[in-house]
Amino acid sequence: MDFISPINVVAVSLGAAFFMGLLGKKAQTVSYILLLGALLFNTIVSGQWLYGLATNIIDAQQVYTAGFRPPFSINLLMGLDEAVITTLVNIVGLLGAIYMASGLHKKGSGSQVVYLVLIMSLNVIVLSRDLFNIFVFLEVGSIATAGLIIMQKGINAVSAGFKYMLATGIIASIMLIGVIFIYRFTGTLNLDFVMQSHPVLKQGALISSFLILMAILLELKPFPANGWALDVYESAHPGISAMLSSAVATANLFVLYKFTGMAGESLMYYISLIGLVTFVGSNLLGINQTNARRMLGYSSIGQIGLLVAIIGLVPHSNANFKLIFIGILTGHYFAKAGLFWIAGIVKAQNIKEWSVLRNRPVLLFLFLTFVLALTGFPPFPSFWGKWQLVMGLSQQGQIAAVIAILVGSFFEVVYLLRWAGYSIKLEPGKLPEVKLSQFIPVILFGLGIYATGYFVSQATNFGDTINYIPLVVVAILLVVDFLPAYIKNSLSILATGWFAYLLIPGQDTLKLVFTVIFLVGGILTLIPGFHVKGKRAGFYPSAMLMFGGLALLIEAENMLQFFFAWEIMTLGSYFLIIRGKESMVHAFSYMLFSVGGAYLILLGFGMVSVGNTGLSLNLLSQIKFYPVLAMALLAVGFMTKTASLGLHIWLPGAHGEAESDVSPMVSAILLKAGVFGLVLLMLAAGGEYNNYQGLFYTLGWIGALTALVGNLGAVFQEDAKRLLAYSSIGQLGYILFAFSIMSQLGWLTGFTYTINHFMFKAILFLSVGGIVMRLGTHNMYEMGGLIKKMPFSFIAVLIGIITLAGIPPLSGFSGKWLFYNAVIMKGWYFQGAIIFFAGTIAFLYCFKLIYSIFLGQLKDNHRNVKELPFWYLLPQYILILGIMVFSAKPDLILKPLGTALAAAFPSNPLIWEGTKALSQLGYWDATTIMIVIGTMFVILLIWLMLMSRKAQNVKQFNIVYAGERPERPELTHVSHNIYAGYNKALGFLVAPGITGFWNYATNLVESIGNFTRRIYSGNGQSYAIHLVSYIVVVFIIYISSI
Amino acid sequence: MEFTVSKILWTLLGLFIVLNWGLIMGGTMRKIVARVGKRYGIPIYQPYIDLVKNYSVRSQITHGVMFYLGPVFRLSGGVGIFLFLPLIFGSDHWSNFSFSGDLILILYFQFFGMLGMALGAGEGGHPYSAIGVSRGLSQFTTIEVPMTLAVISLAVQYNTLSISEIVAAQQGGLANWTMVTNPFATVAAMLSLLGAFGHSPFDLVKAPNEIPIGPPTEYHATYLGVLRTNAAILHVVEAALFMNLFFGGATNWFELILKTFLIYFWSVFVGVVFPRFRIEQSVQWFLKIPLILGIIAIIVVL
Repeated sequence: MDFISPINVVAVSLGAAFFMGLLGKKAQTVSYILLLGALLFNTIVSGQWLYGLATNIIDAQQVYTAGFRPPFSINLLMGLDEAVITTLVNIVGLLGAIYMASGLHKKGSGSQVVYLVLIMSLNVIVLSRDLFNIFVFLEVGSIATAGLIIMQKGINAVSAGFKYMLATGIIASIMLIGVIFIYRFTGTLNLDFVMQSHPVLKQGALISSFLILMAILLELKPFPANGWALDVYESAHPGISAMLSSAVATANLFVLYKFTGMAGESLMYYISLIGLVTFVGSNLLGINQTNARRMLGYSSIGQIGLLVAIIGLVPHSNANFKLIFIGILTGHYFAKAGLFWIAGIVKAQNIKEWSVLRNRPVLLFLFLTFVLALTGFPPFPSFWGKWQLVMGLSQQGQIAAVIAILVGSFFEVVYLLRWAGYSIKLEPGKLPEVKLSQFIPVILFGLGIYATGYFVSQATNFGDTINYIPLVVVAILLVVDFLPAYIKNSLSILATGWFAYLLIPGQDTLKLVFTVIFLVGGILTLIPGFHVKGKRAGFYPSAMLMFGGLALLIEAENMLQFFFAWEIMTLGSYFLIIRGKESMVHAFSYMLFSVGGAYLILLGFGMVSVGNTGLSLNLLSQIKFYPVLAMALLAVGFMTKTASLGLHIWLPGAHGEAESDVSPMVSAILLKAGVFGLVLLMLAAGGEYNNYQGLFYTLGWIGALTALVGNLGAVFQEDAKRLLAYSSIGQLGYILFAFSIMSQLGWLTGFTYTINHFMFKAILFLSVGGIVMRLGTHNMYEMGGLIKKMPFSFIAVLIGIITLAGIPPLSGFSGKWLFYNAVIMKGWYFQGAIIFFAGTIAFLYCFKLIYSIFLGQLKDNHRNVKELPFWYLLPQYILILGIMVFSAKPDLILKPLGTALAAAFPSNPLIWEGTKALSQLGYWDATTIMIVIGTMFVILLIWLMLMSRKAQNVKQFNIVYAGERPERPELTHVSHNIYAGYNKALGFLVAPGITGFWNYATNLVESIGNFTRRIYSGNGQSYAIHLVSYIVVVFIIYISSI
Repeated sequence: MEFTVSKILWTLLGLFIVLNWGLIMGGTMRKIVARVGKRYGIPIYQPYIDLVKNYSVRSQITHGVMFYLGPVFRLSGGVGIFLFLPLIFGSDHWSNFSFSGDLILILYFQFFGMLGMALGAGEGGHPYSAIGVSRGLSQFTTIEVPMTLAVISLAVQYNTLSISEIVAAQQGGLANWTMVTNPFATVAAMLSLLGAFGHSPFDLVKAPNEIPIGPPTEYHATYLGVLRTNAAILHVVEAALFMNLFFGGATNWFELILKTFLIYFWSVFVGVVFPRFRIEQSVQWFLKIPLILGIIAIIVVL
């Protein structure tokens, strides 16, 4: 195979540019074709080298110009690194030219020449090993860029172009001074020779390397000396912004990387610091943006800052450096170019107008792909990059850097996902016509990011252990999204069933409980989907993303698999939750808490990996680095999902406003993912004899207080679904409390509560959700008397609340009985009393729920309401059957669970004598209780029937009411604010203090952002001063530290 | 333990005794309250007359299935507690079906009747039902707090949740009664008993002069008969529960009758002295002194 020498990139580009100049304005088409030809040639050259070098067909090669060897001539180096970077630059160059076809065409050959020169100069700065040569081509590139910026019409673009020139002018002079110094001290400008003089540079010539590196850093727009760049991103043609963000930044980053050889370790430290400050600062300011392109500018600068930090951290991140760098770089590269390109299609500046994307689902899909890739979700390359980065840094003990990276990432998530939410939910306007030439590059980059994600994952440590089958299912559902809902519903049920079939046989008992909840629960909650008419676009991919993630969670054996599954599940649930009519803000807040939690988990995993080899989840039991802190981080991470006190404020909105059949999915099933995490964690902590007593004691208190606040909150709701949502907070508080007891009885209690909550909450949410769907209102005081219209739902809700309240003989009582025994034996009397108090409060909302909806007076506008659809009732009655079996024969589940728990919790087990359970303290025989109560009830019913002869049914308003017939049901249906007295007595306990705290935190972040943003005055002169003062400040800090 | 025929017959006999004692005790208490108010009052056997009358009234209407089942739930609640409660210490015949579960079962089985009744009254469609139930539930939540602390304190003290074992531990004279060995728990529990029995000052739930216009009128005739039957049984068994937990239990029927009378009388006695609380007052009341006593009761046994 013949390899085309990279020098031809320069030759062909210059030749083509020359001809294009000759063609003039007459033959624009020919000139455009020449441009594409030259760009294609460049791409082929670099692509060919990439292939050759990656497959080891050829070795890295030096190209000598003018027939001399360095230092007498300029040499180019084409190694694997260079091949990767030039390929990236050339591909985006080519696709960018296609994207800007009409613009470049219209502006004529002049602009096309400038474009070509820009791409060429980027190739040269990547390949060249000569300092001065790099300097020259940096300048060539800057001038070309400025030319392209002012190509856009309007005063803003011209002004931005001018500021750009001003800034790069200053940067160039700084670099030039640096180059002069280098030559003075080393006598050469060849990079390889300069590197060999490294010891010299460390001393007197320190200033030279400092200036050169600073110049390159300033090209990469460090925060806060980057106002000039933001204006460019905002006002240039989006195609040019894409170029700047993807191609130019990539090339410049590589130049920085090339130069790091001449920097000493302390300078590297400052480079990483500059990068981190930029990443955090820029993303912080991004939060306040409403202009899409400016926001992308902030995000670009932030991402580049992160990459700079990674370059600076090279000594700390070992061999994985290149993989980390490529992962995050390609994530940024594809996503940012894609987003800028989409920005050009959408035209709208304000992020709230981006809902126009909904007119073209493919575009929306690509948009979401890019946004999620930027935020580092799997399966995109940046996910793998960030994972490796955090693990690598943690293992070196660089926890501060990890925290900075996670904080910056979190800020970025805030504005990117808010934007995503707007585009999904707000009323769409009209989308401008989409040209094919604009569409193709975006699609190709969309495919590119998935493909790269896959390849990076395979190269990542343990990345090849990821099971992609659930994602394949999601992809299939995305492809067949045009089919009617019932077909996709059947497919989803089949797929979930298949996961269950694969996972359930041979699963160990503890995991089996969660497998059944996740997957059998999944099937049950998918069944109501058969009621939906039409296509239900986007629902099934999201649902399967969530259930697939849950299946993967069960399967996970190492931390990477676990985290991957966790993120996949979070993503799916986000898309499910946001489907509700009023869900935009709630899904957003859900996502913020989830991502925050996920980052804590990531940080925790990072700390777990310190001093250990491999990534196995078993390592959780041998944490060496601050074990209590690591455990606590992981626990808090999981508790964002279980909505424990302090982290619970997202739940009522997210569960309350979700669609009727989504609420049971996220409430009955998804919350248990957090429980699953906690169970894994606590088992790994060592079971009964653990070293984390203090931590679990704290968790126990949090659980108890969560139960109290959640239940009390539910009492004062008027919205039926929010009532259930608050009740979930409370129930999950019980569960957290029970597991924190860390004894066999405590864990049996925890499992019983988990299983019960799964069953009764699914029933209640399905019923109530269905009723909300039928009536069109969430408000309970607008309902009433529905028992006559919906008897089957009434029975379901009745069973549900009896189980919830823990009244014998149903299985809720099993939980209460175990709970008492566990608490007393553990000695947690006061926490236990709080939980019991919370339990009695549950009666208040249970009664309010069933009474306000089903009893009292039927409203006039509901006289023709029908019973819930069969597809809603079916899963409820299957679950009722489950409750009945678990109530009558709890030993079927609790006995094997006890055996399974005996290893971790050997003392004071629950002893079974037939159906009778014995603890150290007491006894309880569920089967006998069931028989006694059942028999007695039947006998007493017969007694009443015998005595009362034939009871006659009277009409609705026939009540004892001072002889009056209250024909208006509203007058006699007492429901609104029914617990006013209780509110007066205890309402202060649920004053929204925690919401206030989070609001305060949000406002604080925003106002810091707003304040800092003021430095960006828009004035070119101020920006120039920023640049110069930035160098001075960094220099002073740097010099004083040596 | 098996469900033998003789066992069932003994239990039914016990239920019959308890019912009669409950009726007589109820009549006596009403008589006492009347005398305190300088009225002559009803004859002591009046509850029998009421019961016979209610069961024999012919007119019968219903508002629906749940309404109809309400009294059944209610009576099941009362009878159920009777069934799961050992009445006479050391007697196989009068320990009923207490082998099915311990103290926790009884604490939670109370809710069975309450819930059913609340739902039944709810279907009746009378606004006072919902008002009464909401008050009852509100008050109930805090009544149970000192009670729970007392029960936990007992469980720790005796290291068991079995009622029979708690009674066994108190045998051998007054000095062994919980009342003496754990006075704080006893006082806390006896204060929550005031709320549970629903006499003044905690009678806003039934609000004897106002609420009866509603639900008790809807529940007329046989329904009322069933409810009165339940009330009679419930008063005795609830008092018997306190007797078992705090006052040494009973070794024979006479002891049971005496002790339950005194326990019940305690709530009547307070009732005729104090006026009625508003709901927010009564909710908060149990979280003050009774709660503190309950906490002390636990600290003492730690």
